[in-house]
Amino acid sequence: KTMTDHKTSKEQKYDRQLRLWGDHGQEALENAHVCLINATATGTEILKNLVLPGIGSFTIVDGHKVSGEDVGNNFFLTSSSIGKNRAQAATELLQELNGDVSGNFVEESPDKLLDNSPEFFHRFSLVIGVQLPESTYLRLGSVLWEAGVPFLICRTYGLIGYMRLIVKEHTVVESHPDNALEDLRLDQPFTELKHHVECYDLDNMEKKDHSHTPWIIVVAKYLEKWYSEHNSQLPKNYKEKEAFRQLIRAGILTNENGTPEDEENFEEAIKNVNTALNPTKVPSGTEEIFNAEQCENITSQSPSFWVIAHGVRDFVRNEGNGNLPVRGTIPDMIADSDKFIKLQNVYRDKAMKDAAVVSKHVEALLQSVGKPPESTSEQEIKLFCKNAAFLRVVRCRSLFSICDSEMVLYLMLRSIDRFYQQHSRYPGVYNYQVEEDINKLKLCVNSLLQEYSLNVNVKDDYIHEFCRYGAAEPHTVAAFLGGSAAQEAIKIITHQFVPFNNTFLYNAMSQTSATFQL
Amino acid sequence: YSIPPTMAQLVGPLRKELADSLSSCRVLVVGAGGIGCELLKNLVLAGFKNIEVIDLDTIDVSNLNRQFLFQKKHVGKSKAQVAKESVLRFCPSANITAYHDSIMNPDYNVEFFRNFQLVMNALDNRAARNHVNRMCLAADIPLIESGTAGYLGQVTVIKKGQTECYECQPKPTQKTFPGCTIRNTPSEPIHCIVWAKYLFNQLFGEEDADQEVSPDTADPEAAWNPADAAARATASDQDGDIKRVSTKEWARSTGYDPVKLFNKLFKDDIMYLLTMDKLWKKRKAPLPLDWTEIQQIEDMLIVETLRSQLIEKGEGAELVWDKDDPPAMDFVTAAANLRMNVFSMNMKSRFDVKSMAGNIIPAIATTNAVIAGLIVLEALKILNSDFDQCRTVNLRCYSFDTLKPELHHVLSYLTYLCICFSHLV
Repeated sequence: KTMTDHKTSKEQKYDRQLRLWGDHGQEALENAHVCLINATATGTEILKNLVLPGIGSFTIVDGHKVSGEDVGNNFFLTSSSIGKNRAQAATELLQELNGDVSGNFVEESPDKLLDNSPEFFHRFSLVIGVQLPESTYLRLGSVLWEAGVPFLICRTYGLIGYMRLIVKEHTVVESHPDNALEDLRLDQPFTELKHHVECYDLDNMEKKDHSHTPWIIVVAKYLEKWYSEHNSQLPKNYKEKEAFRQLIRAGILTNENGTPEDEENFEEAIKNVNTALNPTKVPSGTEEIFNAEQCENITSQSPSFWVIAHGVRDFVRNEGNGNLPVRGTIPDMIADSDKFIKLQNVYRDKAMKDAAVVSKHVEALLQSVGKPPESTSEQEIKLFCKNAAFLRVVRCRSLFSICDSEMVLYLMLRSIDRFYQQHSRYPGVYNYQVEEDINKLKLCVNSLLQEYSLNVNVKDDYIHEFCRYGAAEPHTVAAFLGGSAAQEAIKIITHQFVPFNNTFLYNAMSQTSATFQL
Repeated sequence: YSIPPTMAQLVGPLRKELADSLSSCRVLVVGAGGIGCELLKNLVLAGFKNIEVIDLDTIDVSNLNRQFLFQKKHVGKSKAQVAKESVLRFCPSANITAYHDSIMNPDYNVEFFRNFQLVMNALDNRAARNHVNRMCLAADIPLIESGTAGYLGQVTVIKKGQTECYECQPKPTQKTFPGCTIRNTPSEPIHCIVWAKYLFNQLFGEEDADQEVSPDTADPEAAWNPADAAARATASDQDGDIKRVSTKEWARSTGYDPVKLFNKLFKDDIMYLLTMDKLWKKRKAPLPLDWTEIQQIEDMLIVETLRSQLIEKGEGAELVWDKDDPPAMDFVTAAANLRMNVFSMNMKSRFDVKSMAGNIIPAIATTNAVIAGLIVLEALKILNSDFDQCRTVNLRCYSFDTLKPELHHVLSYLTYLCICFSHLV
């Protein structure tokens, strides 16, 4: 046996993606069971992008038989599968992509399943409905809404790609924000930090130590000086911050001739004054979460997100003195390793202490609703505390809400649905239909406009275009949408990053897209 | 069907002439990896008939999470070749030529490039991109350049005389470190990791004069005065131990004895560094390690494995460092961490060392799928001679968040109000 981690072939295979969402993200993926409705090109492309990274299992629901046209745009259907059930044919080939994934199929139309056993859909982590007619996705939407199963609707229509997300409540602990501010507590130093800063005596240090003192300590020391001259008030405006920066600059050591030495750590301190003195407070997003009804009323059914949130809230109101648990990380900085590590440990230890207190609150909470303390893990609580400032909850409107702002493409897609409702087919599928369907489609558009009292002028160009599309599903657009939809699906399954809320439209010709909330 | 099935889905949305030209034109795909696999699939299903693909690489296990034309049984085989075979399984009518070769091979001259109506890059390194860029300019063939890293991606069209080329804008160069930082005064884990990679080559691989690991006596920082520096430099030239006997030869003479190696690298050499006292005036001095105190059995075994690998290869052989070869990766992890320990740095996990040593870029299926889709859509515009409609697309895939408009720009032109279909009607 060597030092080599006996990496399983799975770890080797997934190495490049583990570096993006971590082991716990991968675990979430491997515990998920996704349902795809309709193994069209778009559907199989989405599934390919979930099978490759190792989704736990998938089930394809599709009552259609494979047609010649299907083979033309779908990589996962071959001419030998023509006539076979499409769900079965696609499952076989998708399964080959990754032996770790278990694939299933149901040779049934979703409408039949909704008629006979709608509970069938309750077992899934996520349902993805592709190329569904309006009546079906409305029915399915209602079932999934009640069951709390996220529903992602996707459609490739000619050169348009469309996605809609419907989920009552989706919580995100790891939102991975772009430019997070550090949690340094310089305005409200906790006891251990105060003690640690006291250990430094900048005025009586050897030059080597002076130049390698972490900037955080430097700022803390000069803040004390500032407080003594400014009635213990933080520098607030630009003028004061500038004066504070000058105060620090004056502390840079000079050589025999009076020229300032090269002290990069002091330069760092000066540079960071702007952000380092931001008052510590609970961000509004987190505050909203604390005030939410689900956080207030914890029951035995509450998901752990809300239980832990309540625990953190208790901490904030008591031991935290109005502040969140300390995050525990500090940025890289110029310092000698010894000083840096010591300072890092001060923050790290405090973070662990705070998380332990939160744990106690959570335990008490779980007990009060009759659940065992193991219901939430240490790891979960630590992760939550570390991300307490970045929590997000996404709530998407159900499909039945009335939308008051519509974009032209969305309108056209709704008109297409209306057309299907009236004529049991999509416009322009056969060449000879294109001309006559133009007027029929126009009627659908106008009736929708009237219904929603919209005063929009839809150019004839759009109506002609959508007739020409003939409900085609070009592979290239399906591939693009396949990647985009799978990415959102992974966000939903791993609860990392923030999913879109709630409508996405892609125009393949102008290479433009838009996300809006309907 | 009066139209072949592959075209059926496109003829509606596209002009007939465009749909026809797809089947006759010849395209070149450079690279059969993450983007390449998705791209080949998209091209074939879009109706492209004549495709040539080139890639010098072979398939690795870490490719399997996204390069879906490859399966476990294909590990070790040529990417271009297996990609071709997999695509043909699903689309037997496609005419694909595969080259297991480097695009920089002079056989692929300007004449070769002139055979194509379009070239699409699916590369992962700058040298090849620069090369293809110049070939396409010379041959005056349109090029679609693309790249992905984690959740980010980009697609750009390059056409001589119409757009800027790949080398028009200066690109940031890869970070290199000065020799004395690596050899004498590392201050960050990356310095120790680079040192460990150099050490691997010095001991087991191709010796490189630019990859010295022993203390650098000619370090200008070590000299108290210029004369001193000159004296040290000449002394090191004459001094047999450090310069004249190569590290590899010395190691072989000890039979790659792990204890001897350890003592030289982490005790004797460090003690030598300590004699260069000027270096430690402003810095924390390194602490030599003692074998008897540390006793890493595992380290001995790694050296043993590498030694037997070298012996297997025979006299005068050299090992090539590969991040996905476990003993080689273990060696660098161990050596780097030991050095970090010596220089009082927090040590790094094997996972992190691998990232840094191997310059690993995270990669997933979804980003490549999106980018490859966009590439073909740009390709269609090029074949339509619609250069003014071509777009550079930047993908920031991890947030479609409407609440933060500054974060949200999936594509660089968000003008959904000005949708205009007319140019393709």
